[in-house]
Amino acid sequence: MASEPQGLPFLCWQQQIEEGKSLGFDPEHRGRDSLFIVRRHGKLFAWRNACPHKGYEGAPMAWRKDAYLNQAGTHVMCSGHGALFDPETGVGLPGPCSGRVLEAITITVTPDGQVLLGADQTKEI
Amino acid sequence: MNIVGLDSLVFGVDDVAACCQYLTDYGLLPKNVCAEGGEFEALDGTSIVIRHRDDASLPAPLATGSMIRKTIHGCADQATVDAIAEELGRDRTVLRLADGAIESVDDMGFAIGFQVSVRKPLDLPAEAINAPGAAPGRPANVIGADESIEIIPRSLSHIVYFVPDSKKAEKFYIERLGFRVADRFTNLGPFLRPAGTLDHHTIFLVNTPPEMQGVEHFTFHLGGPTELLLAGKRFQDKGYESFWGPGRHIYGSNWFWYFNSPMGVHVEFDADMDLHDDSWTPREIDASADASQIFNFTLVNKWMPGGDPH
Repeated sequence: MASEPQGLPFLCWQQQIEEGKSLGFDPEHRGRDSLFIVRRHGKLFAWRNACPHKGYEGAPMAWRKDAYLNQAGTHVMCSGHGALFDPETGVGLPGPCSGRVLEAITITVTPDGQVLLGADQTKEI
Repeated sequence: MNIVGLDSLVFGVDDVAACCQYLTDYGLLPKNVCAEGGEFEALDGTSIVIRHRDDASLPAPLATGSMIRKTIHGCADQATVDAIAEELGRDRTVLRLADGAIESVDDMGFAIGFQVSVRKPLDLPAEAINAPGAAPGRPANVIGADESIEIIPRSLSHIVYFVPDSKKAEKFYIERLGFRVADRFTNLGPFLRPAGTLDHHTIFLVNTPPEMQGVEHFTFHLGGPTELLLAGKRFQDKGYESFWGPGRHIYGSNWFWYFNSPMGVHVEFDADMDLHDDSWTPREIDASADASQIFNFTLVNKWMPGGDPH
């Protein structure tokens, strides 16, 4: 049985991210969110806030704080040039980022619902 | 062809309410806003039009999913509109709309419209500064740093297209519509100025792979660099995401500050663009960080060195 993970930065409580919504995080306190988490089909997926658009690699993706998704909440939308991504796989749909992939961020959800940045090293493999 | 500048850009968007709020917060004047969209005007009447992407009245979308649906150019008179209709009618369909305007497509497939320009003449002072050796820009006791000023964009300036063939696109705008090259980034494309304005550019073309066809950004002119910095600061304070700037470009000399937007394009604040006439010799260079801007700052929160020593 896994024990409590130690020392991983706390991001939020998992119930703070509703279905079809996203939240951005700045765990390094750089003044700009470096990653975001989206809930899709009940699961959480974390991605680096960095569009893979050719020539714009690393550009921020939200148009407003925490606004990383299309209106229906079904896709990640980069508001730089409208590229759409599958929120579960990070794969770009046909369009500006066709076939390009978002960078996945590892998160850990504890039994009591904390969302932590990084892998739970205490978990048995 | 006496095209005087952009009159309006029409978007068919995913999230109508978000776009309407965004453009209002950008500073444009909302008109006829409802669940189906709205128009957002600058002081001279130029505008952004927001509609839902499924609105059947809009021209067909690009295959790439870009939300731009039409670029409307303003002309000096109906004779110019009619001349463009005749010119484009030689090799493509030209729709004549009820108000005398026309609609067609350019050689990249962007829907384009032409109408007698809506632009109202503006009579407004530019940002005034004081400098030794020059007559005072502001009279005594008139302050320059007023945080309370109202900032409304003055005029729709330019649109930047991602195009799959910038040579072909350039040829269309020059040979069919009378645009001239102002300057050129050799690895991207040209800045294009129509015959009826001295503004450095109203269109800039960027060559990209076909799947990226769409719009890089659009922008409106503000009254000066202080307005631009204050408008951008207010916009960022409302939570909008800065993409690049503030800074000042080299080609065109315009001050810039770019933000992400729910229209899926960058939206710029712009001020103090160069004017050129036909005696200007276009410059050209490979675009790079050094060639694009004389300086670029990124806003951080207000801060004062030393703080309060008492």
